[in-house]
Amino acid sequence: MIGSGPIVIGQAAEFDYAGTQACKSLKEEGHEVVLINSNPATIMTDWNVADALYIEPLTPEFCERVIARERPDAVLPTLGGQTGLNLATELADRGVLETYGVRLLGTPLSAIRKAEDREEFRDLMRQIKEPVPESWIIESEAQLEAVLEVVPYPCIIRPAYTLGGTGGGIANTREELWETGRKGLKLSMRSQLMVERSLLGWKEVEYEVMRDSAGNCITVCNMENLDPMGVHTGDSIVVAPSQTLSDIEYHMLRTASLKIIQALGIEGGCNVQLAVNPDSFDYYVIEVNPRVSRSSALASKATGYPIARVAAKIAVGRTLDQIDNQVTGTTKACFEPALDYCVVKIPRWPFDKFATGDRNLFTQMKATGEVMAIDRTFESALMKAIRGLEVRSKDLRHPKTQAFTDEELRHAIGKPTDERLWALVEGLRRGWGVDEVNRLSRVDRWFLRKLAKLLAVEERLLAARTGSSEAVDALVSEAFLIGFPSVSIGALLGIDDDRLDPGFRAAAKGAIEAQKVLPVFKMVDTCAGEFESATPYYYGTFEDEDDAFAVASS
Amino acid sequence: MKPTVLVLGSGPIRIGQGIEFDYSCVHCIWALQELGYRAIIVNNNPETVSTDFDTGDGLYFEPVTLDDVMDVIAHENPIGVVVQFGGQTAINLAQGLHDRDVKILGTSESAIAAAEDRDLFERFMTKLGLPKPEGRAVRSLAQAEGVAGEIGYPVLVRPSFVLGGRAMEIVYDLDHLRAFYAEAEDANPGQPVLIDKYMLGKEAEVDVISDGVDTLVPGIMEHIERAGVHSGDSMAAYPAVTLSEAVQAQMVVAACRIARELGVKGLMNIQFVVEDDVAYVLEVNPRASRTVPYLSKVTGVPMVDLATRCMMGEKLRDLGYESGLWVLTGGPNPPAGPSHTPRAAGRILPEQAFVAGPVALPKPVVYAVKAPVFSFQKLRKVEPRLGPEMKSTGEILGIDNTYVAALYKALVASHIQFRGEGYVLMTVRDDDKPTGVAIARELVRNGKRLAATGGTHRALADARITAHRVNKIREGNPNLLDLILQGEVSLMINTPGTDRVAELEAAHIRRACIETGVPCVTSIDTAEAIAQAMELYADPSRAQVLRLQEYFTA
Repeated sequence: MIGSGPIVIGQAAEFDYAGTQACKSLKEEGHEVVLINSNPATIMTDWNVADALYIEPLTPEFCERVIARERPDAVLPTLGGQTGLNLATELADRGVLETYGVRLLGTPLSAIRKAEDREEFRDLMRQIKEPVPESWIIESEAQLEAVLEVVPYPCIIRPAYTLGGTGGGIANTREELWETGRKGLKLSMRSQLMVERSLLGWKEVEYEVMRDSAGNCITVCNMENLDPMGVHTGDSIVVAPSQTLSDIEYHMLRTASLKIIQALGIEGGCNVQLAVNPDSFDYYVIEVNPRVSRSSALASKATGYPIARVAAKIAVGRTLDQIDNQVTGTTKACFEPALDYCVVKIPRWPFDKFATGDRNLFTQMKATGEVMAIDRTFESALMKAIRGLEVRSKDLRHPKTQAFTDEELRHAIGKPTDERLWALVEGLRRGWGVDEVNRLSRVDRWFLRKLAKLLAVEERLLAARTGSSEAVDALVSEAFLIGFPSVSIGALLGIDDDRLDPGFRAAAKGAIEAQKVLPVFKMVDTCAGEFESATPYYYGTFEDEDDAFAVASS
Repeated sequence: MKPTVLVLGSGPIRIGQGIEFDYSCVHCIWALQELGYRAIIVNNNPETVSTDFDTGDGLYFEPVTLDDVMDVIAHENPIGVVVQFGGQTAINLAQGLHDRDVKILGTSESAIAAAEDRDLFERFMTKLGLPKPEGRAVRSLAQAEGVAGEIGYPVLVRPSFVLGGRAMEIVYDLDHLRAFYAEAEDANPGQPVLIDKYMLGKEAEVDVISDGVDTLVPGIMEHIERAGVHSGDSMAAYPAVTLSEAVQAQMVVAACRIARELGVKGLMNIQFVVEDDVAYVLEVNPRASRTVPYLSKVTGVPMVDLATRCMMGEKLRDLGYESGLWVLTGGPNPPAGPSHTPRAAGRILPEQAFVAGPVALPKPVVYAVKAPVFSFQKLRKVEPRLGPEMKSTGEILGIDNTYVAALYKALVASHIQFRGEGYVLMTVRDDDKPTGVAIARELVRNGKRLAATGGTHRALADARITAHRVNKIREGNPNLLDLILQGEVSLMINTPGTDRVAELEAAHIRRACIETGVPCVTSIDTAEAIAQAMELYADPSRAQVLRLQEYFTA
């Protein structure tokens, strides 16, 4: 096993989770595990996770020395992030694996190359008739001029090899493409740029799929980015399962994802990213990650389906129908999980520490971590995720965006940053309406309507302090049920604001205590209650039936 | 039914609070299970092992906030809550939980407060008679000016109750203080700002385990970069390499006394700065720190397991330990025993011996060097120079039986490698020139070509060291930026000065290094470490490759 090394942006704790699971899974199968990883802060580099542990630099030279010393039968390259995969590829290229007779497990390198090499991937997609966005490599002004008539507008210009990715942009007309493109050629150290069809504003959807060596495939779950195309999925707010796709779209994309994993011949887990036109059934395949990724960690936690564990077993030859689903204990890994709840992930960015950093979000990931929240509705899962971020805003209020001028706010809604969620809310707060905020941000109206619904409760709580006649008790109860925590309710009602009438404040405080409902805890069981399940993985929600008590008492 | 214990997780990964805390939480859960408790966890980070459904006996995927945790407590009715492994996220809930009559296991909330509250801490240190840099907590700029004037510049200014050194700065004069104060105050509103005498010495730290009476110091770590670089961004060596036995004795004695006096039950981290052979206490954190996983692995002491046992009422003496410093002795690893027994051969030098004065320390069996890893490439406009504010996202470990080999591995694993055969470009501030010259000599001796700007070039010439002279940017083309962009620089050594104009230029150069992939070192101490490791860069086969456990048996 090759680990993923130090935590960097884009490669965080998810590979400790995946690697630890894989080690356990391989040991269960009776294999002896040799691990190399340079990161001492991980569980996988513990004394007894692997059978032989090497805390050594993750360079081809050190890996080769470990291989020479341990003489492993095989290397598993797809569970150590891009670092592990690159190292395995390099060891194969240098002939190290051949010299020592080491097999590569899981997805063959040829399939990995097909997924990662732009040209090979496009060829394969054309063969199986899956659409990929058109693009052109431009290396001179003459070439640029030649494509002006050909490319679809708007298009994206990405100069290669520039400092900080400067010089790129969007062109809406041929004049803009000519201008920006010529500048880009000059800025690029190798005079090279790529022009591609712009999918900005399209919905971004991901499918987590698994395939075994016998060709069985399943989708673990799909996930929808609240932020439309244009923001790295690691920097997007993500919802699972998708909330705004029609049944036809859901299955169209699921079929495409399964077709792709089958055509690539992946043996293990894989993540397929797709862009969907919000106004038609058009879609494009954006990217495939032929390995366990950050998204698969999220999908595992969102569904209860242990992707890394199953991927490791597939790599040593098991098929999906032979692997037990540990969560239910009664079903097999070939059952597609079903979700009877909504999951929201919000990234955690480092701009509290890097105040001067560029907060604009684009295709380069900037988040260091993320939080996930589970509840029965999007609204309450979102509220949980926000307050779990440990940033200054604990709910929908955000002093900075609330202080924006209309002009600044319009900009903040249109241009994604770590603060855009609150900018969307503020647009709605100013009465701009769902349609206008959608036009500016391209965030689906469904999400915006949910934000508006939460905002309406916030506004009524604020109004209550200025003497609206509404019964505070009922209002507080409603706020709890939709997902506001008591601290937010208290702050909105102004219980600590000594300019307010003490009688009102006492009544409000009383209402919060009296109306506070204890949540029940529901189980994440991979099957939406279809089968008996006994895994103690819970989320809280305001309903009647408590799964946790049921387990405890049985 | 087994008694239930609730462990609080550390929430999303961010700079200053990384995967290390997840390691500690997971080990705490395992230790609790071994002790016969039902261990449950609240956490909301989907990337981690702690939120794997089979890590504990119950996983509550909820935000780590007071409200949400209280809901889980109401549901589970645990005998107590563990807050010391979940970073600042969990520690920050201690007081609120205590106020709601929830039992905090291990170190009490009042001891936590005593260490974090500056005035209490001050009184406490005076009572124990332990040296610390002069300083005070202030609540206004006027007070800050008074205190800084009294103790003399430079002073270290930082907010209280914040992890990772956010908004922390070394302040050189009154203007600087006036410019910076608001930022420190704003970083944690309502909490005091700390003003301390800034001491430019060696930094060192210890993580200790205490049962309230006896205190085990598993090891002393010495920072390679001097005070002024955040401990999370420093390279750190175990065991201490240059600290005298007298200073190490002071640290052991101080750690044992502080732990006993505070009544620490569990883990505690203490940071020291050493000047004139006196160890001054910089900071006391009565909780797991980010060095716990690394130190556990390189000392063989199962620190979290022991800490959890102490927290649950067991005594170190009953577990085969006593007060004092653990040292490795080499020789065969002990046979696998219960989870609290050490994994490497060693013995304890008792506290009493240190009280009497310096104790002869045995020749180290292993050396382990931790090095930070940064994500500057992903973050535009972020300044890569190191300072009191933490900037790294991850860490790696180099371990070997000699110090230079461990150092070499740490450098290489953190991507400090000569990139190609180009120049080592040096531009160091005046204070650093003598050390810079020594480093240059070592580099040249190992066949490296040097390039330097004006002042540094002159210093090298005076020492008869040949270097290619390059222009600073404002001196016209071609300059050092061109050299970097042309790929002719293999490593950059740039130590920032205080001249604002020069610093603006230097910042630009450092960004250029980051974006072209040239390793850039901004502390003269790191550069010195590279010089020390040159023989290994020349011949990496001098580093060993062994299973972790094999290093201990040498």
